[in-house]
Amino acid sequence: MTERVDLQEFVGGFVAEAEELVAAASASLKEIEAANAAGTTRPKSVRDLFRALHTIKGLAGMIGVEPIVELAHAMETLVRAAERAGGTLRAGAVEVSVQAVQAISERVRAIAEQRTPQPAPESLLAALAATDASSEQPSAPPPIAKNWDARLSQGERQQLFVALRAGTPGWSLTFYPTEEKSARGISIATVRTRLAEVGELIKVVPRTLKGDDGKMRVAFDILLTGPTTAEALAEVVAATAAEVESIALAPEPAPAPSDEPDSDVTPMGRATVRVELARLDDLQEQLSLLIVSRYRFEREIARLHEVGQDVRRLREIADVQARQLRDLRRAILRARMVRVTEVLEPLSLLIRSLARPGLKELRLELDAAGAEVDKAVADRLLPAIIHLVRNAVDHAIEPLEERRRADKAPAGTIRVTCREVGGSQLELAISDDGRGIDRAAVARKAGKPIENDEDLLDVLTAPGFSTRDVVTQTSGRGVGMDIVRRIAVADLGGELTVHSELGAGTTFRLRVPVTIAIIDVFSFQCGPQAFVVPVAAVEEIFELSKSSEVLPPTRGHGGEITVSLLARGDRPLPVVSLGALLRIDDGRRAEKAMVVRRNGELLAFTVDRMIGRQEVVVRPLEDPLVHVAGIAGATDLGDGRPTLVLDLAELGAGIRERTRA
Amino acid sequence: MKRLLIVDDSKLMRDMVAACLRPLGAVTFEFAGTGLEAIERLALAGFDLVVLDLNMPDVGGVEVIEFVRSQDHLRTLPILVVTTRGDDSSKARVLEAGASGFLSKPFAPPQILEEVRRLLPSAA
Repeated sequence: MTERVDLQEFVGGFVAEAEELVAAASASLKEIEAANAAGTTRPKSVRDLFRALHTIKGLAGMIGVEPIVELAHAMETLVRAAERAGGTLRAGAVEVSVQAVQAISERVRAIAEQRTPQPAPESLLAALAATDASSEQPSAPPPIAKNWDARLSQGERQQLFVALRAGTPGWSLTFYPTEEKSARGISIATVRTRLAEVGELIKVVPRTLKGDDGKMRVAFDILLTGPTTAEALAEVVAATAAEVESIALAPEPAPAPSDEPDSDVTPMGRATVRVELARLDDLQEQLSLLIVSRYRFEREIARLHEVGQDVRRLREIADVQARQLRDLRRAILRARMVRVTEVLEPLSLLIRSLARPGLKELRLELDAAGAEVDKAVADRLLPAIIHLVRNAVDHAIEPLEERRRADKAPAGTIRVTCREVGGSQLELAISDDGRGIDRAAVARKAGKPIENDEDLLDVLTAPGFSTRDVVTQTSGRGVGMDIVRRIAVADLGGELTVHSELGAGTTFRLRVPVTIAIIDVFSFQCGPQAFVVPVAAVEEIFELSKSSEVLPPTRGHGGEITVSLLARGDRPLPVVSLGALLRIDDGRRAEKAMVVRRNGELLAFTVDRMIGRQEVVVRPLEDPLVHVAGIAGATDLGDGRPTLVLDLAELGAGIRERTRA
Repeated sequence: MKRLLIVDDSKLMRDMVAACLRPLGAVTFEFAGTGLEAIERLALAGFDLVVLDLNMPDVGGVEVIEFVRSQDHLRTLPILVVTTRGDDSSKARVLEAGASGFLSKPFAPPQILEEVRRLLPSAA
């Protein structure tokens, strides 16, 4: 195996993650600005801002983008000072920071477009260095929660104090992780996510304690504020309400509650409840199990029918059940849906930040009607849409002067529309009324003819294609488009099309499924093919030592496969070659074995080698009641080829039946 | 099969670290996105080595190291700190807290591979 690893393959990932971080930094700055305007502070946003910058700096360093490293570093120094000063970043410092984030963002775009990013502007670096984070030292907040005060930084105490003063209750609770809770999906990560949904986390501190059995255990003490109840919080950490302590300020003539916008706090009293996505995934998982057992039920009915039993009543029940299962599936899918209007909300901020008054003016039209989309799809889709909108602004919309000459409305219009197609697909269109793409110019650059919109899209989305030379004046597009296509086509299994008219504008259309399933999988190689299995289905993976004898599987006349036994632990473990089972064995020695549990019994499959562990999108089966034994679905590992998701336990079932035969 | 825990709040960074360590061959990678998750995973399961970032939400890398070293059964677990805070005082603080190795970002792939090979208990 080669030792050479090239980090340049991560450039695409860098662009995506850096854009997210830039967006997060901008959002934090906006919150800080709002807090400044309201005469209060927002230490949490200052902390978030710091972390986003720090991460950008680290990633940019790995990829080797020095100007971004410099900018992030200078800004990080300023924000760190603000954090130490109790979490205030005064107006002037916010302004310089906004410019610096803008400068970082421009350089990320340059990377996306395969241009060399401009060096960090000296004047900006100097301004960052010369800016004081905080003009006044805020008065130290009074001690509030006796067992917490010593563990909180100045900024965190300020955060708690500001919230309590505004009338938001504070809470102190403890989460005790165990293997059993972890198996039920209750871990510090999920607890943290769920708590962040009902309130604002101030601090989580790990602590060790001695268990009843004398073993050391870990516990997490959690401090948060939010308009919730002890019962609700107790439920999150699997404790009782009595174990949740509420924290309030000592009564004093409190000032009127500030009307600081608190977007990440759910107002109580509405008939909605926020549910963590992982719980809905769980629900869906349970439903799949139900569908599998229904399939078995049907098989059993068919068997009874074959031996001459009267199965009419059973059939009727089975038909009703099939309908009910479809309804249930639809209900679960509905619960995962978010409004597209909400998903597209960040676009208006984006447009505002991209407009240059007097030079380039912009107008955004959003029309999503009542369309809804699975949260998991929305999370993947948004970066692609942001990409397209950015491109439109950067390269398609002409400067004010040019538009005037062309007799166009002064403000360039970006229109994003979304509608449902056929109940299971969403069609998004991102249009602009800019200069349109000059096919001839793109064709010259690409060195091949472009006859129609399809050719154009192929060229624009070819990895590495850049219209850099022609982009500014003539062509008007062609940047980072391979990423957009990857998201739409490879990740989501959708379609991407383009239509452009020179002088009149360009429309990109994305067609994506309304819902997808995402699972954590092991990927591995078997024969000439790659496969994946859900991590949850695998009990153990072990290496096949050269000494352990796995007899080559023999296939009988009826297609049955003889299973070898491997001495492992105190009992023999049946081992079967997956390659032989799937009839794709290419004679390579299998290196690994994966153990699964089937009806309580262990069964191992040998595979050539493990590739890794990752999260993948599993394409929904057209009809979940159509069931192919052993195949749970298909996915894409990023190479554009479909990869099968195997259900090893079910494949194992097939073996035993054949062995018995 | 060795188990490595890679702790970083950036998914890209986790992926890059895993990519750099691919030549190790027989290892499984597990990932944690926060210091809290790392502590939980380490408390509940056994690992052969941890690659740890310092700057994370709620609980930073230094606190993770302090936690690990306070646990009897984790006292010898190799911890490689990988951080953008490459200055000497950070390094001193981290090593004092009980890290086994220290690498500042950016690093070249062979550097981290070599460090991990050095720290990983020799394969059986």
